[in-house]
This record gives sequence, structure tokens and C-alpha cells, in this order.
Amino acid sequence: MRSSLVRQALLLAALAFIPGIGEAIYFRDKVSWQSPIPASEMVTLTQARAWGENTIWVDARPDAEFEREHIPGAVLLNEDRWNELLPQFLVTWSPEKRVVVYCSSQSCNASREVARRLRDEAQLKNVFVLQGGWEEWLKSRK
Amino acid sequence: MAQVAKVKFVWRIVDLVVGGIFIYAGAIKALDPIRFASDIDNYKILPWMIAVGLAFYLPWLEILCGVALIVRRLYLGGLSILSALVCVFILATIAAKVRGLDITCGCFGHASQHWSFSGHLALDLAILAALLALYLKGASGNRLQNV
Repeated sequence: MRSSLVRQALLLAALAFIPGIGEAIYFRDKVSWQSPIPASEMVTLTQARAWGENTIWVDARPDAEFEREHIPGAVLLNEDRWNELLPQFLVTWSPEKRVVVYCSSQSCNASREVARRLRDEAQLKNVFVLQGGWEEWLKSRK
Repeated sequence: MAQVAKVKFVWRIVDLVVGGIFIYAGAIKALDPIRFASDIDNYKILPWMIAVGLAFYLPWLEILCGVALIVRRLYLGGLSILSALVCVFILATIAAKVRGLDITCGCFGHASQHWSFSGHLALDLAILAALLALYLKGASGNRLQNV
């Protein structure tokens, strides 16, 4: 029975490569194998602050965390209420501004997703992800 | 005789439910592999390149194994792969929690984004228990249909 089990498992594992490779080919232009976020799409807190008034801070965290505290002037735009919040965000947006999206920390991915959707779905340019997120902001205040 | 049929029917339902769960979970991830790669990357265990490779591969493995459970072909192979995947996932989730990482599990796509750690763990343990029960039942021989 054991050899049968191993044979079956190996066969399934091998079969899964076929659609997996097909999908990798299909998405070849949409994902980088080198880095989750290209360096050109990341921004440090110092850089973002240097942009001054030209920066729109976007808070991608859940509503409750935003209400507790956020970067002054930040606009709430999370995936939970994307359809509702996007029009409100677009009112504040203008083409010359740079959008800096943050979530709770370096390890969260909400900011990446919101940034990606702003680029792909809202067709915005100059959208960046804040390195270190909200935690980095808190550290800079100490 | 009727009792035996009833028991078989119940096990068949468990096959269908567990297989269906993995087909659903795999399909959601296969539709958005980039998000799944980010979810894997959040665990900070694997390099990004491997996370991307797994994001393309694992959803299809889940789907195929789920189908194997439903159609009762390659049955034990499917069960053992799914059990191994769930074990790895439970360990990775616990490790992430211990390291204080703010993670999205990604197990059921966007729907599971805000599940609590205990919610994840409870569901994973329930699925693992169902898989092990099916495995023991299958290995006992009388309901196993080898290829």
C-alpha cells in the first residue's frame, strides 16, 4: 500500500506542474520573480516627507486602526470598503501628486495590494508603498 | 446492511466536503496568484522567488487533490498530500504568530483576510482531523479504490 500511496502522491504532484507552469507563463508580465515590490515602487519615510504637500498618504489598514490613529492628513482606503472609499480618495487625488500607501508594518501586505489596485484598476501613476508602514512612522515620532 | 450503507454514505459526504473545500481554496488562489505570493511572502520563511513559484503551483495541487478525493482516484495520494500541506500551514501559522508577524493567511483568498489566529487554527485542525479520519478509513482497506 505504501508504494501505491507514494506513486499516487508523486503523480498528483507532477500533474499539478502542468497548469502551474501554464499560469506562470500567462502571468509572466504581471509578476516579478526578483522582488515582491520593485525598488522603484517603494519609498522611505524620509523621501515621502521630502515631497511635502505633493504627497497623499493612503492608510490601507482596517477602519478601526485608522480611527484609532493615522498619519495626519491620511486618507482611508482599504480593501474591505474599496468600492465605497475609492471615490472619496479620488476627490483628493490630482495627477501631480504622489500617492504613498501604508499598512501596519513591514510584514503586512495591505499596502502592496492597495497600491497595486490603484495602479491596475484606477490607472494611477506615482503610487508608492511606504517602507516599514505605520510602525516606521511611530518610530520616527520617538 | 442498511447500517453499512449509511456509514459509507457519511464517509462519502466527508470526502465531498473536504474535497470541495480544497477545490474552492485552490481555485480562489489560482485566480489571483500574485496576491497568494504576497501572502506566502508575509510568513517571511521563503525567498520571494520560491513564494512566486509556490503561488503558481500549490493552488493547482490543492485542486487536483480535492478532485482526487471527490472522484476517488489517486485517493490516498491526494489525502497524504493535503494532510502534509495542512500540517505545514499550521506550523507556519504558529511560527508567524510566535514571531509577531501581522499576516494574512491567504488560505481562502480575500474572504479569510481578517480571520483571527484562533479561527485559522481551529479550521485547519478540523480539516486535518477530517483528512486523518479519511486516511485511516481509506487505509483500512474496504473503501479504498486504488487506481
